[in-house]
Order: sequence, then structure tokens, then C-alpha cells
Amino acid sequence: MKPRSISGDDVPNFSRPAAFAVAAAIMLIPANILPILSTDAVGESRTDTIYSGMMGLFENGLWPLALIVAIASLLIPFVKLVGLTVLMLSARRGRSVHARKLTHLYAVLDFIGRWSMLDVFLVAFLTSAVRFGALSTIRPGPGIGAFAAAVVLTILATRSFDPRLLWREPSPSNSKPLS
Amino acid sequence: MSDSAPADEPSGAPEPGLHPRFTCRFCGHPHRPVALAPRQKAHCVRCGLVLAKGSYFGVDTTAALITTALLLSVPAICLPFVTVGKLGSERAGHLLSGARALWFENMELLSLWVLLCAGLLPVVMLALLAAVTLPARFSKPGPWAQPLRRTAVALAPWAMPEVYVLGVLVALTKLGSLVDVKIGPGFWCYTVMAVLTLLAWSNFHLGPPSIPSEPVREKTTS
Repeated sequence: MKPRSISGDDVPNFSRPAAFAVAAAIMLIPANILPILSTDAVGESRTDTIYSGMMGLFENGLWPLALIVAIASLLIPFVKLVGLTVLMLSARRGRSVHARKLTHLYAVLDFIGRWSMLDVFLVAFLTSAVRFGALSTIRPGPGIGAFAAAVVLTILATRSFDPRLLWREPSPSNSKPLS
Repeated sequence: MSDSAPADEPSGAPEPGLHPRFTCRFCGHPHRPVALAPRQKAHCVRCGLVLAKGSYFGVDTTAALITTALLLSVPAICLPFVTVGKLGSERAGHLLSGARALWFENMELLSLWVLLCAGLLPVVMLALLAAVTLPARFSKPGPWAQPLRRTAVALAPWAMPEVYVLGVLVALTKLGSLVDVKIGPGFWCYTVMAVLTLLAWSNFHLGPPSIPSEPVREKTTS
């Protein structure tokens, strides 16, 4: 194994995408534990986390909605973080035989990120739509702020990762930046 | 195009009518600019992702889409988005009510973020697209077209009208059991605006930045 220089083109610097990804992973913990929504209807009140809100939709027979929420809120952030980790680990070693597939993976990650904001918009809309004083009120919980932060951080992580690094030639002389 | 001839990385201004973004934005592979016929797609020879699309609608249609969407943004903001009723009392909500409600729940940062992503940036994006497209349609493109285009590309990931539409649809279905909801004209205007933006954007983002003086039909790529 050849020695790697600390600076220079030999080892790509992933500090920015990695920092964003780690921060997003940390924010996902409160996002999933804390309640995102509390509903006070007549004689009944409940608080929901992302998961329990999804299960509530499922139990009410609204399973297509439950599926949309599950994909947007649970699957996409997870897939993005795992995918980014795979991309960063592969790009460390320079161009691989899978570079084409990895670039496609990046394009997918870049596209899906925005759809995670669905839950945030959902809560914002519900909060504004349902406020009838004592009759029924929906209020946002602290989890939704953490979730929004996590979504923004995953988008920033994806965008700060340069997919051209997946095609980096092993020798530094070829890694002329194209911009 | 062969790998050995990665000619013409656009160092300066590209030739008029030829696509300047033939450096793949994903893998960075440079390509020689070619003129694309309408509906023709250029794929990167190395990673296979779409580099550019021949103008799908033509310049007139794109300009019309953007103008319509921009005009629709006014009623989308002003007209009631939904009307919610419960036990006789009825309230109208607007596009920006969601952000406003979050603000009064002491979630100022989140409120601003929703305001930006769902309300402000979609309209700003449309205004930028109009500022780039319309002068190019009626006279020659202004000198600020390129910086404006770059701004639009930089803002694009944060303008999410289509995500907001889906969020509202999910919320409305969920609410159906709890209260009476009626969809207002503001929502329809917003939805049409979101769809038109997507159509115009796909043409703008991957299409030619300025109009070729006459449509080019002959050349093809990989």
C-alpha cells in the first residue's frame, strides 16, 4: 500500500459531507423520539411521533398515506445517510469498477432528499388548518424542528459531496478539477 | 463521442445555439458541444446520466409556461387555500398560514424555513426564470442572464412547491375524518403553478440557455 499524503489530491477531503451527515444522523434521534404533533379533539388528546403518526394513518385504513409518510419520513433519510456513507467510502479509493452505478446512486440521492420535507409541511399545514380553540386544535411538537434540521442537513451533505470524486484517477496528475 | 477526444471543455462563452453544459455535472466528463433537436437527449458517455435535453416545448411554450406560473402565484398566495369548518364555524387558510401558525407556536426558525421552501423561493425561482427567459424571447438575452441562471440553479433544491402540494393532500385526507375541509381556489392555483414550474424547469435546467437563432435539427449525440 502506497503512503497517502495528508494534503493534495491523493485523498479526497470529505470533512464537509461527513460532518453534515453525522449531524443529520444525530438530529434524526430526537426527530424520531420526540413528538411531532399533538392533537386535542373534543374529549380526546394524543401526541404523535413520526412512527406513531404513521401507524395511526395505517390503523384508520389510510394505508396509501401511511406508505407515503413512511417513505418520505423514515425511509428517505435513512437511505440517504447509508447511500452517502457508501459513496464516501468508495470515493476514498478512487475510481472503482462500480463508478457508473455509484454515480447513478448519487443522482437518486440528490433527487429524493426534498421529499422528506413532506412531514414538515404536513405539520405546518395541520397546525394552521385545525385551530378551533377548545373544540379541536393541532399543535406542533419539538420533534418536527429536529426532523426539519435533519432533512436540511442531509440535503446539504449530498450537495457538498462531489460525485466527480467517484471518477478520480489514481494518479494525482489526472485529477485536474473541472468546474 | 470517444473517450480520447474530450474536446472543448467550455472555457469561455460557448458558440450560440450550442449547449454549454456538456461537462457532465455528475462525473465531470467533458464532451464536445452539439446542437440538439427538440426532444433529443444527450447522455454522458461515461456515467450515462442525462447531460442535456433538446428544448422540449420550444422557447415560446417555455416562456408561456413561466409567465402563466408567475401570474398564478398571485392568486395562490391571496386566495383561500382551504376552508375548514367544524360545528358551524368556518375558517379560511392561506398558503402562508402554515408558516404563520408555526411562528405563533414559537417555532420561528421552522416557520421561516417553511415560508422559504413553500412560499417565497418558488415565486423567486419563477421570477428568475422569467427574467432569464422572457428578454431572450423578445429581444436578445441581457448580460445578467448567466448570473441569474446560476442563482436559479443554486436556489432550485430549496424551492419545493410540489412537495408542499403532496403534504397538503396527505393532510387533507387525514383531516377528512376530523373536520370539514373544502379545497379553495388558492390551492388549485398553487398546484397548477407547481406543475408548470416543474415543466418549465426541466426545459430550462437541461435545455439551451438562449435561443438558437433558428432551430437546429440535424445533429445527434451518442
